[in-house]
Amino acid sequence: MEKSESTKIEMGESSKLERKLGKAPLLGSPTHAISSSAIVANKRAGNYKRGIAIFDLILRIAAVATAIGAAVGMGTAGETLPFFTQFFQFEAGYDDLPTFQFFVIAMAIVVAYLVLSIPFSIVCIARSHVVAPRLLLIIFDTAIVTLTTSAAGASTAIVYLAHNGNEDANWLAFCNQFGDFCQTTSGAVVAGFLTVVILLILIVLSAIALKRH
Amino acid sequence: MKAGALELGHASKVTSSVPKSGVNRGMSILDLFIRIIAIIATLGSAIAMGTTNETLPFFTQSIRFRAKYNDLPTFTFFVVANAIVSAYFILSLGLSIFHIMRSRAQASRIALIFFDAAMLALLTAGASAAAAIVYLAHKGNTKANWFPICQQFDSFCHRTSGSLVGSFAGVILIILLVLLSSIALSRR
Repeated sequence: MEKSESTKIEMGESSKLERKLGKAPLLGSPTHAISSSAIVANKRAGNYKRGIAIFDLILRIAAVATAIGAAVGMGTAGETLPFFTQFFQFEAGYDDLPTFQFFVIAMAIVVAYLVLSIPFSIVCIARSHVVAPRLLLIIFDTAIVTLTTSAAGASTAIVYLAHNGNEDANWLAFCNQFGDFCQTTSGAVVAGFLTVVILLILIVLSAIALKRH
Repeated sequence: MKAGALELGHASKVTSSVPKSGVNRGMSILDLFIRIIAIIATLGSAIAMGTTNETLPFFTQSIRFRAKYNDLPTFTFFVVANAIVSAYFILSLGLSIFHIMRSRAQASRIALIFFDAAMLALLTAGASAAAAIVYLAHKGNTKANWFPICQQFDSFCHRTSGSLVGSFAGVILIILLVLLSSIALSRR
């Protein structure tokens, strides 16, 4: 009985030792040399990912600026002509055209999203090897690119009509009368497209940073 | 017992690597499948808009009673954009098949994401510009004195509105494609 107990204890100790010995050879094995060079490569990759993340943050702040410019530009576009008759009003504002209303609302949503995504960008700078925030950013950036391009494209169609009119549909070009309004709305649409370009660059940056080494 | 611990370590490594490349391959096949559907959607939109031609049965000397997609430059842009995007998808089928065979390709996946995003912007711009014009054609605008032409050109209006559907479906499919590519890129 005692012998068996002592053998049990011995087996327990030797198995512990064997487990320790089983782990120890890793220090001297060739796998350790490979893992150390992988660690160095990982650190270099982390540095350039951090650089990409910092550039991402700067571009995001620039995109906030252009999107605010687009929204405010379109929202405050309004012109009242200095003459009037009894039946006609000669004023133009962004809410006269539903497409421009859509543009202002969409740009406001884009501004809100970009401001909320700045903390995620900062997290990507702080921890260069995380995948989840980058993946989240690229997915939502794609959706927001769609929204922005949609608003900017629709407003471009209306602005083009306002500048040129359409004879076949008998649509008059009202830019001939409301020159100031036309200029402001065209400028807002250009700012919207600038936001789209910046967002596209952000998507590509996130894709490059997602590369695994 | 030592052998058992080592065996456990090996077994966990083996079981985690096989499903990863398997899932990547599955995503690449799904990518190819979605691309083929997107080709059909955008090509269908371009053809549906491009073959619009409605002539009203009466005419006078001064007013035109014929509607084609050419008459509105925005619709011309729509047809051209859809044609470019469907041509791009046909060309990118090859790259997609390459990704199925080599699931670990990274630089080509990044290039694919870049081009997919650019095509997304182009397609969305074309589709939403055409949508704005179709909305105008349906509702008109009293303040700008724009008359809703849909009241006269019924079939033209139906055709243009229907072709928008295929284009917007293509937009959603491209978003899915970018999603799949980025997830496949991040899983190594």
